[in-house]
Amino acid sequence: MVIKVVEDPRAIIKRWLTAESFITVGRSLERADSMEKVLGRARFVEDFFEEGFLVARIVLAKVPHARIRRMVYDRALENPRIYRVLTHRDIPGENQVGYAIPDQPLLAEGKVRYYGEPIAVVVGEDPDSVNNAVDDVVLEADPLPVLYDPLEAMERRDVLVHEALGSNIAFRTKVRKGDVELGFSKADVVVENTYRTHHQEHAYLEPEAALAVPDLENRITVIATIQYPHLGQRIVARVLGIPSSYVKIVAPYVGGGFGGKDDEGPLVAARAALAAYHLRRPVLLYYTREDSIQTHPKREAAVVKYKSGASRDGRLTAIEVTIVHDTGAYANRGPFILWRATMHSSGPYHVPNAKVDGYCVYTNKVPQGSFRGFGNPPVQFAAEAQMDRLAEKLGLDPVDFRLMNMLRPGSETITGQVLPSSVGIHEALKKLAVESDWRIKRRMYSESREGRFRRGIGVAVGWHGNSTSRAVPDWSNSYIHISRDGSVSVYTGIVEVGQGSPSSSHRQLVAEILGCPIEKINVIFGTTDAPDTGATHASRGTSVGAIGIVVAAGRIRSRLESFLAEYFNVQREDIRISGGDVVVGDRVRMRWEELVALAYSKGVDLSATGYFFLPKGSFNDEVGQGFAYPVFSYIAVVAEVEVDTYTGRVRVLEVHPALAVGKVINPEAVKTQVEGAIIQGLGYVLMEKLAISEYGRVVNDNLTDYVIPTAHETPAIREAVFVEDLWEYGPFGAKGVGEMAFIPMPAAIANAISHALGVGITELPLTIEKVYSLVKQVVG
Amino acid sequence: MYYSIPKIEYYRPKTLSEALEILAKVEDSKVIAGGTDLLVDMKTSRVRARVLVDINSVAELRGIEDGGEFIRIGAATKLQEILESRIVSEHLPLLKAAVKSMGSWQIRNLATVGGNLCTASPAADTAPPLLAYDAELVIAGLSGLRVVPISKFFTGYRKTTVNRGEILKEVLIRKSGWTGWSYEKLGRRGGFTLSVVAAAVLARVSSSVVEDVRIALNSVAPTPIRAYRAEELLRGRRIGKELVEEAARVVASEVSPIDDVRSTSWYRREMSYRLALETLSRALGVE
Repeated sequence: MVIKVVEDPRAIIKRWLTAESFITVGRSLERADSMEKVLGRARFVEDFFEEGFLVARIVLAKVPHARIRRMVYDRALENPRIYRVLTHRDIPGENQVGYAIPDQPLLAEGKVRYYGEPIAVVVGEDPDSVNNAVDDVVLEADPLPVLYDPLEAMERRDVLVHEALGSNIAFRTKVRKGDVELGFSKADVVVENTYRTHHQEHAYLEPEAALAVPDLENRITVIATIQYPHLGQRIVARVLGIPSSYVKIVAPYVGGGFGGKDDEGPLVAARAALAAYHLRRPVLLYYTREDSIQTHPKREAAVVKYKSGASRDGRLTAIEVTIVHDTGAYANRGPFILWRATMHSSGPYHVPNAKVDGYCVYTNKVPQGSFRGFGNPPVQFAAEAQMDRLAEKLGLDPVDFRLMNMLRPGSETITGQVLPSSVGIHEALKKLAVESDWRIKRRMYSESREGRFRRGIGVAVGWHGNSTSRAVPDWSNSYIHISRDGSVSVYTGIVEVGQGSPSSSHRQLVAEILGCPIEKINVIFGTTDAPDTGATHASRGTSVGAIGIVVAAGRIRSRLESFLAEYFNVQREDIRISGGDVVVGDRVRMRWEELVALAYSKGVDLSATGYFFLPKGSFNDEVGQGFAYPVFSYIAVVAEVEVDTYTGRVRVLEVHPALAVGKVINPEAVKTQVEGAIIQGLGYVLMEKLAISEYGRVVNDNLTDYVIPTAHETPAIREAVFVEDLWEYGPFGAKGVGEMAFIPMPAAIANAISHALGVGITELPLTIEKVYSLVKQVVG
Repeated sequence: MYYSIPKIEYYRPKTLSEALEILAKVEDSKVIAGGTDLLVDMKTSRVRARVLVDINSVAELRGIEDGGEFIRIGAATKLQEILESRIVSEHLPLLKAAVKSMGSWQIRNLATVGGNLCTASPAADTAPPLLAYDAELVIAGLSGLRVVPISKFFTGYRKTTVNRGEILKEVLIRKSGWTGWSYEKLGRRGGFTLSVVAAAVLARVSSSVVEDVRIALNSVAPTPIRAYRAEELLRGRRIGKELVEEAARVVASEVSPIDDVRSTSWYRREMSYRLALETLSRALGVE
């Protein structure tokens, strides 16, 4: 009896997608890293620092826009403990590190384009000497006129952040569907507003750092706070002018990323590598909190002009949207962020006519970058405020109006993409409305808009395309190897950045598919020694990142089954491997370890890779239509607030989420992602505000003055409603979840405050002052 | 941590006189108590100190005592000790309310009342209650002790009357028969927050007449302040809603807030009125 070995990724993914009973999947198994972290034993980059290593810091520009004459650092070098001050001239390879557009130097060259731009790296023997030397590096430069307002920058031709481009518009996007004029002519109500959202600082616990260790013949290892080791490898290799294979990147435990270390991580690694390359000694480059806040890219600050129309029977007829992103001094990932904003601008609704235009605009500010939600929160804030205004005009309940227009399986998005399945948002919102007592509370608070403390309840939905936008290639991979003692090594490029995918879901998937004991599994994550798995961003650590694990584990499982069938002459149905027990037919029982030993002795290959290239369609830029994403994750939240009309203080009392994110591999891990995102979203809306001075400097570059939420502000977060709308390629049908709960939070809180006060809200953040001024508008 | 602050020389005297001698002798020395302000300032180079004199082991500077007429709080007493003190609970509820709003448990176990006063931030949270209690501050120098009323202690933005070589020794608060008190603090978030405005009020009301009242605020001027004109207006008057509103308006006219990264002048003035109204109403027993 021989069973054909299945090596085809699609067949393997499908086999596990249709599994009906589970051993480890769907259970809240403890993370492998919990205890280490609780006990403070987990090591982060600076914990690898040892006596005798050199230290380095970056020098930041203190002008917002200037033409560089020269850099003077003789005084810095007077201290014999300072070894080098490195500038762009010291880069042996390429200085150009722009991710989307080649517009960004690793170290300033020719011009400075924002206050806080790295201009040099100081390397020395000890931190005090280096800190002092940083102040002794002088930039001699001729100031240029500055642009801070993106709307102004769009129009200006006389002042250019990047002269070569001839315009301050770095990138444009468009979507065109149907005929918006016709759509608006069919509308009985039309709402038009301009929304503004603000920057957000990631404020991760661990600021950026990289420890570069030179190896033989210009090979180098860099331990870095990074979300994509293989991208770091590419950038370091490019900067040093050496082959990628000479560069090894290791992301140890990373103390939070939220996208920030996807942008800055490779650059920190490259700057540390540059220092180690020249000094031929290990160098730790460490950003202070102030350096970090001054220099690394922030959440998109957006201006969204939004016009939408609906007919009397509650159907959306058209939207017309203009999105302007203030990308700051460099495009960074601005074009990708803008694409995502553009594609998602309708919200998860069926809109027959849509015209969307996006502009990514340069200014002389800290660049815009990746941050949980990636362009999506501002457009959902606008779209969901519009939905509330339209519902109000139509005399409909906000939930009912949303349900009437919501995407379902078979619906078409504004880019003309038909979503055949895995569209669970309609069901999720319907259930949420019941479980959150939406109708009762909405009516109750509507009727009691008086007194000092006023309550409001708001709803918002969000959607988020999994994987990269449009046809941008995306893949998964991993390498699994079973040792002779039956222990399993899983290699993945996915990073442990707090979310826990390598320490929870990845282990569960391997245990489920191989049937081995879970404690035998060691996931070796965050390293270029693993196959390129893509970045740990875009909610893809498990949803896309672990597809490779499913495929590799599935291949080995299939080989073991084929081997057992042949060896014992049984059918596949007669083979059971689970939890370390192997049962073959009714005669043979053995332990997992015995199976592995037997397989080794009979020549079964117990190593496999699991490459999977995500199938995608194409997007036509000319007509603004086409394929956007392989699948979408969905979320709805109901938020309840209490507004103190005397002070403007808002307390978020309760947040109730509902998610349609496919199969939930580890419910506890998903819960913690949802809770974290809700709190981060709450902070963004209510208190976080980057203050930029007239010199373009981020004034609140510390956590005393950049205020983030604490346990005190954390609302009651209710058990999430889950709709498991399986995705055909996801591991057991899982979709992305990491960013989801952030996305609707601005809209949900703003809509709740709007409900409490009876006033429209178009601008974030809703700080105490801002809410107080809204109160003044209402009650005088 | 491979790095936290610049290399320093460090002394940990056991007595006050030893501490004063080191301060006098060693150039460039600075007193450290809890370090919750100082170490942050050293890390960012706002303060550059080469020598630190740690006063945490000086017993004379620690502890809370009921001396009959006065309550004495040693300057190096931790905020958490103040919060947990029965003496403070019984006699100084206004101070307790303010301390409760300060930092986290971890911070309060390091930070001291003397440190909070000597940093002299406009947002110092122990200042409004101590201003309201009219505390007396005992300052020690090599030549002896001197006593300064807290109203004369803050001499400007982050400046005090404590001279180089001196150490704030203790805070003395006279027991007094207050009939009402109230404290309100507004920050940018609910907990662990710096004040945007805080107001502290003590009142003595007899037969519905204001016998005495003290109003103090922080974060609305270069130093924490008393609202003397509003106090003046209230003294001897029969309590009532309109009177309290008028007094709160006077408070708002007495403050001189600025726009900064934490708030705006406009909002701070509005909230001075609002917090004064709240605290006065509660302390005076006006509905």
